Amino acid sequence: MADVESTHSIEFELNGEPKATVVPGRELLVHFIRDDLGLKGTHIGCDTGNCGACTVRVDGQLVKSCMMLAAQLDGCSVETIEAGPAAELREAFNAEHAVQCGYCTPGMLASAAFLLERNPDPSSDEIRRALKGNICRCTGYENIVRAVERVAAGGPNSGDMGPKSAHRPVEAS
Amino acid sequence: MLAANPGSRPLAGGQSLLNVLKHRAAEVEAVIDISRLEELRGIEGDGSGGIEIGAACSYDQIAGSGAVAAAHPKVAEVADGLVDQQVRCRGTIGGNACFNDPGSNYPPLLVAMEATMRVTGPGGDRKVAAGDFFQDTYRVDLGPGELLRSIVLAPAGDATVGYSSLQMASDSWAVARAVARIRCNGTIAEPRVVIGCVSGAQPRAAAVEQAVDGAEPSAEAITAAAARVDEGIEPGGDAHASGAYRRKMATVMVERALTEATERARGDDG
Repeated sequence: MADVESTHSIEFELNGEPKATVVPGRELLVHFIRDDLGLKGTHIGCDTGNCGACTVRVDGQLVKSCMMLAAQLDGCSVETIEAGPAAELREAFNAEHAVQCGYCTPGMLASAAFLLERNPDPSSDEIRRALKGNICRCTGYENIVRAVERVAAGGPNSGDMGPKSAHRPVEAS
Repeated sequence: MLAANPGSRPLAGGQSLLNVLKHRAAEVEAVIDISRLEELRGIEGDGSGGIEIGAACSYDQIAGSGAVAAAHPKVAEVADGLVDQQVRCRGTIGGNACFNDPGSNYPPLLVAMEATMRVTGPGGDRKVAAGDFFQDTYRVDLGPGELLRSIVLAPAGDATVGYSSLQMASDSWAVARAVARIRCNGTIAEPRVVIGCVSGAQPRAAAVEQAVDGAEPSAEAITAAAARVDEGIEPGGDAHASGAYRRKMATVMVERALTEATERARGDDG
């Protein structure tokens, strides 16, 4: 089997739409999403499973798409940033200026949404822990954590999209 | 399929194997996806405190399992602390065990807990003690075509486990680790002390075990026993830490692991 370039027929759901195609056995999910499906919102930061920029949802699980083969998508549903994060989360990232260069943002949003589904009222520590697999090389973490806090249910001024961060001291990380 | 394709490797969560493939670090003729075999994904209690964890159970599944937390809390705690949420969603306990990097989290824990590894293959099923399963770095007792099916943990009874790792940064591989499992009824009994981050053989610290066996669970006894970790164990140095530093830190890790195990025996962990 050594020299055979295998191909695999896969059927899957992409952001709610059924799809079927053929992929090379060696293709990573992130390359499939970007190059074959043309969805460039999923970013490649490191290609080694460290940075989280390529994070997507597969069957609801949080997955770095450079650490999964496209062929493994068969029978699964994948959700990329193009499906649109919750408006609340998007607005909070905007309001807290949780975006500098924006490269890590799709992955950050995926991880933040995953956390909030499981734990609608996370503490600051829980948010930091949930975002551990996502690296922001602008080091804009404080604003990102604050944006997620803003969405957290029951948090101070939750639901209020006013400029609360302006009145808050910056916490040490 | 594994047996019919020499040179093939099973792929479960892929959180190690995919990087190995990307780096061309191993020659693999075929990759066989086992990640969705239902037979490998179950967690079953035996009703009396024992538990069987399927090899393809993800860390996230183990961390969230009430059955694991009740029967063997340390197994759930380790899963919950692993790397990051994405890796916990994909990575599997069986993959962690079979990869068997010296720094892998589960091998020393499974040796200390005297887990039984259930292996299946063309010749049928067999059981291997964890202490024999981990042979050397990246080597485990799996023959051609064989697959780790599940990990069986006997009822803990009154045994408690301490687990201590040293990481330079929250994301880096540990440079030193120790796991201690004891029984403690006034004095320490049946100690199993395993030193991680040294070799894939996941060595037990025989001199430490001997020193704490029958000792009072006091800080003095633990410190004195931990100092004997270098009898028979020689950590190698690399770019991350020198051998001397690892040896020194292994002593500290053993001390902390034994202390945690004795505190848990007293019920101090809440």
